[in-house]
Amino acid sequence: MSIVVDSVSKRFGEFVALDDVSLEVRDGSLTALLGPSGGGKSTLLRVIAGLETPDSGRVDIAGEDATEKPPQRRNVGFVFQHYAAFKHMTVAKNVAFGLTIRKRPKEEIEARVDELLKLVHLDGFAHRYPSQLSGGQRQRMALARALAVQPRVLLLDEPFGALDATVRKELRAWLRRLHDEVHVTTVFVTHDQEEAMEVAEQIVVLNEGRIEQVGSPKALYEQPANDFVMGFVGPVSELSGRWIRPHDVEILREPTDGTEEAMIDRIVHLGFEVRVELTLGDGEKTWVQTTKGHAQELELTDGEIVWLRPNEPADQPSDEPVPA
Amino acid sequence: MRSKYALRFLALGYLALLLGIPVALVFVNAFQDGVGAAWAAVTTPEAQHAFYLTLVMVAVAVPLNTIFGVLCALAVVRQRFRGRALLNALVDLPFAVSPVVVGLAMLLVYGRRDGWVGDWFADQGIQIIFSTPGMILATMFVSLPFVVREVIPVLREIGTEQEQAAATLGAGSLQTFFRVTLPAIRWGVAYGVVLTTARALGEFGAVSIVSGKLSGQTETATLFVENRFQRFDETGAYAASVVLALLALVTLLAMNLIKPKEAQG
Repeated sequence: MSIVVDSVSKRFGEFVALDDVSLEVRDGSLTALLGPSGGGKSTLLRVIAGLETPDSGRVDIAGEDATEKPPQRRNVGFVFQHYAAFKHMTVAKNVAFGLTIRKRPKEEIEARVDELLKLVHLDGFAHRYPSQLSGGQRQRMALARALAVQPRVLLLDEPFGALDATVRKELRAWLRRLHDEVHVTTVFVTHDQEEAMEVAEQIVVLNEGRIEQVGSPKALYEQPANDFVMGFVGPVSELSGRWIRPHDVEILREPTDGTEEAMIDRIVHLGFEVRVELTLGDGEKTWVQTTKGHAQELELTDGEIVWLRPNEPADQPSDEPVPA
Repeated sequence: MRSKYALRFLALGYLALLLGIPVALVFVNAFQDGVGAAWAAVTTPEAQHAFYLTLVMVAVAVPLNTIFGVLCALAVVRQRFRGRALLNALVDLPFAVSPVVVGLAMLLVYGRRDGWVGDWFADQGIQIIFSTPGMILATMFVSLPFVVREVIPVLREIGTEQEQAAATLGAGSLQTFFRVTLPAIRWGVAYGVVLTTARALGEFGAVSIVSGKLSGQTETATLFVENRFQRFDETGAYAASVVLALLALVTLLAMNLIKPKEAQG
C-alpha cells in the first residue's frame, strides 16, 4: 500500500471535517476523493500531505509512519487549485525549486527541468513568468514542479477547478495519460462526479467527514452503497417510492405486471438523449432517460398516458470491485 | 467632462497650496544670498555633524525597524495567538501619540535621576538621555509602524499557498521565507523602508526632548534647522531644509529606480 490512512479525525472548532476516516491507496493507482464541498475531501488530502495535523489517527506513506513528519519530509507532490505558482520565478525556476532546495548539481537540475517541461508540453516556456501563462499552462507547470522531486505520491486538490470547461476536459484526459506514463500513486480531489468517473480507477466518496463508499466508477454507479452515493454519482429518478437510474425505467404503451401509470408532461430532446418528464398517478413528478430512436419508435407525445416499468439491474453480479 | 477637469484641478491645487508652493519658497529662500552662502551654511562643522547624526539615526533605525516590521507582520498575519489583536493595535501607537509625548515618556524611563531604568544604565556607563542612544530610540519609536503597515496587507494578499507549496517541495521555514515569502512581499517592504527613512530623517519632536540640543553634539539636522532659525540665520535654516528635502527625494528616487516596470502602477 502506498498510502494508509487509519482512523483519522480532524475538527476545526465545532466543525467536524474528518470523522474516523480510514482508507488505503494502492501503489501506482489513480484515486479520486469525491464529494460535496465541506465533505472533508480536501482536508483528507491535506492531512496526507502534512499541511494539516489530524487530531487523532495515523497516516502511513510508502510503509512509513508519516503522522508526525512535517510536509518537507514526506516526499509528496502537491498541486493546488489556484496553482500556487512562485510569481517572481520563471517557469524553469519554479519547476527546479525542489531540486534547488535539495542542492542537486546544476547540470542535473537543467536536464530534469527540460525533461519535465517536455512532459507537460511547456518546452519553450522555460523563461516566461507565471503571469505570462494561461490557467491551464500554470497548472501544468505546477504539476511539473511537483513531479520534479520524484515524489512517492502525487496529491492534487481540485486541480482543474479554476479552469474553464474546455481546458478542464482537455487536462483530465491529459492527466490520465500522464499517469499511464509516470505511474506515480496519485490522489486527486474533485466535486465533479464526471471528472472522477473519467479519470480515476478508484473513487472514494466522502460526505460530512465520513467515507460513504470506496469502489471503481462502475461499482459506484451500479451498486451504490446508499442513497447518498446513488444520488451523487449519477442521475436519479423516483418510481414506486424508491430511487432508480432514469435509464433503468422502461416506457410501455400497455399496462402489465408491476407497471405504474403516468402522464407525459414534456419531452426534452437533447440530441441522442431524450428526457421524458412525467407525472405519476399519485401526483409525484418523475423523469425517464431514453434514446432518440426509442422515443420515435414509441411515438411519444406530450399529454399522453403511458406505463412505467423499472428494469432491475441491481441484482446482476458486477465486476470485481477494485481493491482499495 | 467638466467634472473630470474640476477633480484634477482640485487635487493639484490642493497639493500646490499645501505642499508645492511652501517647499518651492524654501528653495528660493535658501539661495537668496547666492549658492555660495547656502553652501557655506551647510558645511560648517555644526551643520556637518548635524547631518552626520541624522544619517546615523536613519542607519540604525531603518534596518532595525525593517527587520522588526517584517517579523511583526508575519506574526500578525500568519499566526494565531492570544494578544495578536493587541499587538496589531499597539503597532499603531506611534501614529496616535504625539512625538513630544514620546520624548517625555522616554525621559521617565531612561532619565538619569528619576528615570525607571536610567540609573541602571548609568551604572553600566551608558548614557541614554541627552546622547545618541536615546535619540536613536526616539527615532525608532516614531518610525516603527511603517514597514509593519505596508507588509501586512501584502502578506494577506499573497496568501499561504505559495508557502505551503514550498514546504511540500522540501523547503524549511527559513528557506521558504527567503526564497518565497520575502521576494513576494519585497515591494511592500521597499515602500515601508522609504517611508521609515523619510520619517526618521524628519523626526523633530521626540528627538528634540531627549537630545538636550547640544550644538555639534546631540543636534540632528532638524534640530539644526530650528537652532539656525531661532538665531535669525535664515540662509542656514533654509539651506539645511533643502538638504533634508533632497535626502528624502533621493530615497524616493532610489526606490523607483530599483523597482522594475512590472511592479509599478
